[in-house]
Amino acid sequence: MSKKPSNEFQSMASRRGFLKAATVATAASSFGVLTMSDAQAASASFSAEYDIVVVGSGCAGLTSALFSRWHGNSVVVLEKAAALGGTTFKSAFWYWVPNNVPMRAAGIEDPKPDFLKYVARLTRPQFYDPDHPRFGLTQWEYDMCEAIYDSASPAAELLAHKGALPYRHVPFATDYFAEFPEDKAKSGRVLTPKEGSPSMADGGQVAIRTLSSAARRDGIAFKTGHRVQRIILNPKGEAIGIEALKDDDSVVRIRARKAVIFGSGGFTHDPELRSNFLNVPVYGGCAAFDNEGDLIRISSSLGVQLRNMNHAWLCPVTLEKAIARDGSMSGMFSVAGDSMVFVDKRGKRVVNEKLNYNELCQKLFEWDGAKAEYPYLVLISIWDQRSQDHSASNDYGSAIVPPGADDRHVIKSDTLEGLSDQISLRLKKYAGLIGRMELASDFTSNLRESIVRFNGFAAVGKDEDFHRGERSSDVLFNGAVKEEPNRTNPTLWPISTSGPYYAALVGGGTLDTKGGPKTNTHGQILDIHDKPIPGLYGVGNCVASASGGAYWAGGSTLGPMIAFAYRAANKAHVEPKRS
Amino acid sequence: MSYVKTSLMLFCFLGGVSITRYALSAELSSDALKTLAVKQCSQCHTFGQGEGPGFGPNLFGIIGKKAGSAQGFKYSPGFLAVMSGKTWDPKLLDRWLTDTQALVPGTGMTYFQDDPATRKKLIQFFKLLQ
Repeated sequence: MSKKPSNEFQSMASRRGFLKAATVATAASSFGVLTMSDAQAASASFSAEYDIVVVGSGCAGLTSALFSRWHGNSVVVLEKAAALGGTTFKSAFWYWVPNNVPMRAAGIEDPKPDFLKYVARLTRPQFYDPDHPRFGLTQWEYDMCEAIYDSASPAAELLAHKGALPYRHVPFATDYFAEFPEDKAKSGRVLTPKEGSPSMADGGQVAIRTLSSAARRDGIAFKTGHRVQRIILNPKGEAIGIEALKDDDSVVRIRARKAVIFGSGGFTHDPELRSNFLNVPVYGGCAAFDNEGDLIRISSSLGVQLRNMNHAWLCPVTLEKAIARDGSMSGMFSVAGDSMVFVDKRGKRVVNEKLNYNELCQKLFEWDGAKAEYPYLVLISIWDQRSQDHSASNDYGSAIVPPGADDRHVIKSDTLEGLSDQISLRLKKYAGLIGRMELASDFTSNLRESIVRFNGFAAVGKDEDFHRGERSSDVLFNGAVKEEPNRTNPTLWPISTSGPYYAALVGGGTLDTKGGPKTNTHGQILDIHDKPIPGLYGVGNCVASASGGAYWAGGSTLGPMIAFAYRAANKAHVEPKRS
Repeated sequence: MSYVKTSLMLFCFLGGVSITRYALSAELSSDALKTLAVKQCSQCHTFGQGEGPGFGPNLFGIIGKKAGSAQGFKYSPGFLAVMSGKTWDPKLLDRWLTDTQALVPGTGMTYFQDDPATRKKLIQFFKLLQ
């Protein structure tokens, strides 16, 4: 294990000198570990002391804090941003909870072996074997997935029972691969905050409100504008606190008697980490801006095992909002509209537009080895007045937005020729970011042909090219469409032969990344020998997910998070109090 | 209008205000106020004139504006029940920023700023934002 030399601490011992050093140091160069001798730890000016120090105030952080507090521990939550909630605040906060209480009450069976087969098939499709004792998963992946099955429901029940997260059951929310025979409970695992709107899109705001209200009610302390940059270890290598850079550039140290639990985010907004770990050309994403992979950088000094760094929770985004770093941007969970298609730079359809977001996004990253290019790096969504009138929404990242909404990503023209010209101009504006992509010279005629072909499919309700609307998850995020009597496929309707027409540029993004230090099933961060680093925990997108590249279902980000928050808090509670 | 252009305009706009209309002390320069406001608010709010809402309403010209009146933003019934008829002035904004949930329990915005100096700076920024 790499340790900072102890004389570094001594050289910074005077407060004035320390603050001066902290001010001139860049944040990035300060990341790491600070090892204190017992004497130093005893005499150091920790500004505060708690049993459990939680880093991050999204779902992982707040639920870790609450579960810890309900054991009787004193708890502080440190948030790097000015306001609480992280990426969770922006989410719809569906949480996928296997074998949950309301599904059991409704008679929906969710046997554990089938659940594990379902997640195994999606997580490691190349190794999946229903006859293998772990269905092709590694022991670690299997154990982590089993922990999700075992603990997500008790965690959800406790959060609800304590009034921190009352829920409502969403029996119709289908899994993204419900057609798999392994998926015995094809829908019923999704819970959502009880007070959310009918569309459920505001679930994150509701959850952050109810979770943080409960936390404040129950005496959890909050400190915003605190960017944790170092973990403080004692000479035995046990975590005894953190050092944070405050937003006024001062540095504080906070002691953790029992444990530090990281519930911070991934590295969506650190371009260097992104380009060195992700193998896909994403344009940022809708994670909170503060998700810059701080735990990845901090833990480099700890000898951890980074896992699943090559995967992310993927989602298409409106390219222009992603490039502009629009703070309110949502991932395009819902590709809205029925009289709507995506086309490529040639003007041709290349994908089922209603494929769930994690899978749809991967089309954008397809590589053409002969041309050495990403041919679908930017796709173009095209729709007509009908979809504009009946499918516009402010929810779920829809590119089709209602009047009064931020619509600067929308291109409009009375004719397809005019639309093509304007699309070309937009692409030119971003040339240096999109591999100098240009529309093909025959784009407009190809687009016209694509629309004629699509309209033929729409007329009979069957997409012979890409089978749009044939899977239950295609329909789940279809969004509002104009009612049409006797229609068999609600995702399809002919695009008008007359304008106006609309378009938006679509790029690839992340909800957040899902790689980081490997933990065990109790959220303990492991060293290179698979031994827990005493007192150090991680939950959520800052640590390694056992899902590989899979997105099992809506809420399969947050459901596992509450399971591991619950398990981490239970384990941290029984840690000895350290000096 | 492009995002890049708008950001640039916002930058110029705020910069221009500081030079021409307001003589601010060094510790409260408009740049510093803007930096603070962006850090505190821009995850959810837009600042530019005519910009659409984000997760929260656009904040251009908020001082002197009726609460619940920003264009294109759907306010919660709880917010409107408590705040309708009120006008955003520095005193009301200070109460709001101290603890949104205390002023309007159940509102979509969860924000509490217990540092009076930070609240004061944010309100000063909003005064420039018109």
